[in-house]
Amino acid sequence: MTAMSTRIVTLAPALLTLLIMAGRDLAQDEAGDARQGKVVYEQYCANCHGEKGDGNGPYGQDTTPVPRDFRQGTFKWRSTPSGSLPTDADLEKTLINGLFGTSMSGFAETLTHRQRLDVIAYIKTFSPRFATEKPEAPIEIPHEPPYSAESVTRGEAAYKKMNCAQCHGDEGQGDGESADDLTDDWGNPIVPYDLTEGHLKCGNNGSDIYRVFITGLNGTPMPSFADSISPAEAWDLVHFIQSLSPDYPKNVTGAPPTPVGKGEQ
Amino acid sequence: MRNGLKILSAALVSGALLLARAALADYTVEAVSNGGTIEGVVKLSGTAPKIAPIDVTKNQDYCGQSIPSPVYSVGKDGGLQNVEVFLKDITKGKALSTNTISLVNEHCMFNPRVQGANVGQQIKISSNDPVLHNTHPQNASTNATIYNIALPFKGFSVTKPLPAVPELIKVKCDAHEWMHAWIWELDNPYFATTGDDGHFTIKDVPPGTYTLVAWHEAAGEKPTPVTVSAGKTVTVNIQLAAAKAP
Repeated sequence: MTAMSTRIVTLAPALLTLLIMAGRDLAQDEAGDARQGKVVYEQYCANCHGEKGDGNGPYGQDTTPVPRDFRQGTFKWRSTPSGSLPTDADLEKTLINGLFGTSMSGFAETLTHRQRLDVIAYIKTFSPRFATEKPEAPIEIPHEPPYSAESVTRGEAAYKKMNCAQCHGDEGQGDGESADDLTDDWGNPIVPYDLTEGHLKCGNNGSDIYRVFITGLNGTPMPSFADSISPAEAWDLVHFIQSLSPDYPKNVTGAPPTPVGKGEQ
Repeated sequence: MRNGLKILSAALVSGALLLARAALADYTVEAVSNGGTIEGVVKLSGTAPKIAPIDVTKNQDYCGQSIPSPVYSVGKDGGLQNVEVFLKDITKGKALSTNTISLVNEHCMFNPRVQGANVGQQIKISSNDPVLHNTHPQNASTNATIYNIALPFKGFSVTKPLPAVPELIKVKCDAHEWMHAWIWELDNPYFATTGDDGHFTIKDVPPGTYTLVAWHEAAGEKPTPVTVSAGKTVTVNIQLAAAKAP
């Protein structure tokens, strides 16, 4: 090894530390201001989610599903493993896109990025978990293989192997044996998704569907398959579920189709 | 101003972290050379209420039509099974348990129904059933999800950590709503679950006076004062009152 390369190797940890510190400063600048967020929250969120974040706002009582109670730090849509808190980016994605099929609308136009960060900082004050826990690292989503008839066929076999029909039914219509009597963490009745409707609450992209298999949906009966499904099986299952949607071409050419579901942004 | 707020919130966060750590640090491990033993039997006062069998509504071809209620399992001489017995407010003693505990999904029920564990232990969750189960532990008082793991086929198993903070955990299977189990996650190793004769034994207890808690899923919780002498066995027999039939 030359003297020069030895010096670089010696310096590398110091450089890395500097880079990490710079990254941390950036991350802090990205954190919202909860005090500003309170103003945004009371204007746009409290009517449904309640001034105390308990989901008991005056307009929220007649909605299905009912508004999220923020006090447990439990969120369905996350990039993080089962049970983990969401990242700020996860919460912002829900704020930008809304949740299809629910009363939660998107705030892509209504709120600026800064306002979204502020209101996220405020929402996090409703649960003590955010003060003592950190979200786990987001799951890794490998590159999506092409959508093909073969993948869809293998995905149908994965649907059977993973016993998805127990809740989602043999035809994916949300009418499996265990579909009745399901409740969420708050004791509210909840039904398995009808996968043939053509739009999924957490997004129709391949990666959106893949993510749900691995993370599960916290607070609901939908469990994590992170330890039971392989990446290849999961992608085949994604393609099978996409094939159930009326928006997807049934005559597969091998090229990945562009999803056109209404849940997309 | 904004910086001031940041400092204030940072101080609050570290305060909360310190409190959480203090709660854990309440138990100190030290060698117990001449500890005593607490043993006894938990019984139900009066006759056990009759609880209707579980009406199986899913996967009847495998799970059957009905399952006898496991709530009051009373054995020979009236001993009550599945009672968790543990010391409360003990601040020092033997090392915490570190083995991996087990929760098996079998014949559409959890086994064991009740067990104790320590912070830092792992749990092996497995299924012997050819149907989809999901193992969904929640905080028993808030219902907050700890995690929710799919067990889609027979023979599947996975090992997971228990939560970082002691709590009573209620486990459910959403796919089969009658399936329940309880895990008492504690910050001290002085716990035992009663067997089918209602008997329990807790060993290597440093001499002193403690509160012994007996907990049953339906009969509730009962504290009993207990004094342990060096090298001696103290017998504590506990009577729990059955809850009124639902």
